[in-house]
Amino acid sequence: MFLLLAWGLSQEVDPREEAKRQKELLLQTAGVLPSELIVEQGKELFYAKRGPKNASLEGCDFGLGPGVLKGASVRLPRYFMDTNKVEDLDSRIRTCMIQLQGFKPEEIKRSEVVAIAFYVAAQSDGMPVQVRLLYPSEKAFYELGERLFYARSGARDIGCATCHVTYLGKRAGVLPYADVINVAGKGAAMTHWPAYRYSNDQAWTMEDRIRACYGNLGHPAPEFYSPAVIALQLFMAYHANGAKAELPGFLR
Amino acid sequence: MRSIWLLLLLALGLALAQRYFSEQDLERIRASGPKYAEALVGQRPDQALCSIHKNRLPADLLPKFIEEQRALIQYPKDGKLMGDWKKGGAIFNNMAKANCFSCHFGSPLNLGGDVGPSLEKYGLNRGQSEAIQRYTYEVIYNAWAYFPCTVMYRFGVQGLLTPEEIADVVAYLLDPNSDFNTKPAAGRR
Repeated sequence: MFLLLAWGLSQEVDPREEAKRQKELLLQTAGVLPSELIVEQGKELFYAKRGPKNASLEGCDFGLGPGVLKGASVRLPRYFMDTNKVEDLDSRIRTCMIQLQGFKPEEIKRSEVVAIAFYVAAQSDGMPVQVRLLYPSEKAFYELGERLFYARSGARDIGCATCHVTYLGKRAGVLPYADVINVAGKGAAMTHWPAYRYSNDQAWTMEDRIRACYGNLGHPAPEFYSPAVIALQLFMAYHANGAKAELPGFLR
Repeated sequence: MRSIWLLLLLALGLALAQRYFSEQDLERIRASGPKYAEALVGQRPDQALCSIHKNRLPADLLPKFIEEQRALIQYPKDGKLMGDWKKGGAIFNNMAKANCFSCHFGSPLNLGGDVGPSLEKYGLNRGQSEAIQRYTYEVIYNAWAYFPCTVMYRFGVQGLLTPEEIADVVAYLLDPNSDFNTKPAAGRR
């Protein structure tokens, strides 16, 4: 194991290149990617008439009008007038499940939100990230996201920037720290989430990823659909503006 | 009268020191979960200072900051800065405990990361003088006393390790008989 790891390190394999290779390999052997299966699952959930109101999600407005999915997810998070909130992909799906389908908040299954997020995000594959800071609350969320990103807190004095800016490309554990705010100018993490992670067979949105970042370092995580997790995404997405999205992502 | 002014100044100082998040921010952070909010709203003044300056303190703030961080360091009751290297090894190589190897290269048991400097053969290269014992102990107890705002946990200050446990880790790094110094480091850097 150590020998293998050491070999891998000495070869300095770019994790993104390695993921591409694994993707090809899986496609050749299985004929279909796990990420594609999740997109299909999400599609079924999206068009199925469900919930107390027996409705589909076809009327859901992701910011470009009811039912317009193409290009919607690369423009999130954004401010929505109907809820008077800045929402991300996850929270907007939840909003529509509540408003259109009549689900109670506690009835909403996380796995369904993730699958629907995969389907909606897939409709923006190849498009550039283009979030904006137009409304005052969008600006306020961006600023909150920036402050959270640079904040040091908890018993381990953790903070996102402490590793993802200061030690960019360095390694604690197996993988080097990802460039999440495009410091190096080669694109940012927001371009490839939601993502399927083949090393542990996980389907995650950026909300899951952020929460795991905190959790791995022993810091309490912000709750799903909360202002903090949305603010961090708006901050990161703004720094990814113009970068081409690969959706859903396929990662180690 | 003078004491009232001093109190006012102190209160002002604290208010300024802790002002990193705006009131609006704090409201949104509180709506993001009670435990999360507790950690961020309860940010300590030194954490807030590092946050405000994005981990690079301006030169004029450094002397006071370092002095305050130094004042937080406490030592084992028996005064020994080198404890039991075997216990220290268990702490160094435990991911849930000190997790030193994830950032530092040099452990014979675990492949090290490259976030922190390599510690390979730490004791063989530096000897076991009182000065190096003290330096090693103090950096582990409070890294911010030497490297303000660094990523390394402040193991002693934050109560992650006791002074005695830190002395054990010092021994693991310095003792010439420690596995850390007698066995080859795992993997290649």
